[in-house]
Amino acid sequence: MATDQNEIKRFVQERYGARARGVIELSSGQSCDSEDAGCCGPSDFDRALRLYNEGQVGGIPAEAVAASAGCGNPTALAGLKPGERVLDLGSGGGIDCFLAAQQVGDTGYVTGLDMTPDMLELARKNLATTGLHNVEFVEGEMENIPLPDASVDVVISNCVICLSPDKDAVFREAFRVLAPGGRVHVSDMVALSPDGPTVTDAEAWVACVGGAEDKAVYLDRMARAGFVGVETTDENVRFDQEGLSMNVASVKVVAHKPS
Amino acid sequence: MEILACPVCKGELTLTVGSEEGDEVMEGSLHCAACDETYPITDAIPNLLPPSMRV
Repeated sequence: MATDQNEIKRFVQERYGARARGVIELSSGQSCDSEDAGCCGPSDFDRALRLYNEGQVGGIPAEAVAASAGCGNPTALAGLKPGERVLDLGSGGGIDCFLAAQQVGDTGYVTGLDMTPDMLELARKNLATTGLHNVEFVEGEMENIPLPDASVDVVISNCVICLSPDKDAVFREAFRVLAPGGRVHVSDMVALSPDGPTVTDAEAWVACVGGAEDKAVYLDRMARAGFVGVETTDENVRFDQEGLSMNVASVKVVAHKPS
Repeated sequence: MEILACPVCKGELTLTVGSEEGDEVMEGSLHCAACDETYPITDAIPNLLPPSMRV
């Protein structure tokens, strides 16, 4: 199983790396020939703009918006306060980190965690253009978060936990690094019934569909990790190109670590 | 950088600075004494992937 899990992680790493390289090439004026799902394009930018309102992304590098592969906008609902410490699981091009950093201000701090070197390189490039000094990007896994116990106030994540082949580990680690009274605000993909997604191959996994788990199972994993007050909102069912339900939906999830 | 922990044992890391720009460590390493594992810092990004996932 461990090998299978690492294979999934490496496949995800490879495809999101391609996505990051696509954005880096586009921004440096090179053409983006690849037609694979990892390749960004204007459609990604438009899609991201629908999730993030224009005023919000005004100060954010276009490259961070273009690389965004999220299904929501977790900082919009995280109610971040000045001084809070935030961890973003799967920070990608950095968009949610930059938005969070603006909200927590100079007394707060944001750590973006990602396992894809090309995404981290893109995030660093983007960070340099923001002028923000309260963001750090770290290469690591959300199943093995490289932060001490009780070191952050809020964990955010945008359509990334569904990519993990070991979601119990992700929730266990998120719970561990949160301070008592801390909270998670994630956007993610879940399946609408125990039947799971209609497609589950590796490509579907990378597209955030294949790894989507039955919502009840997903929420139960969170409860078993110790989270309380687990609530979901904004369920948005996804359809394939023929207009058929893929039996998955994007959803916002909020949960708390007891004080 | 000072808030990071070992991804395996979650213990403290000791920072060795190779080069700095402003207050940022550009190159260097983080060492976990408990695991006797060294994690590199390259282009200001610490690589704290568990050793089994490192490329």
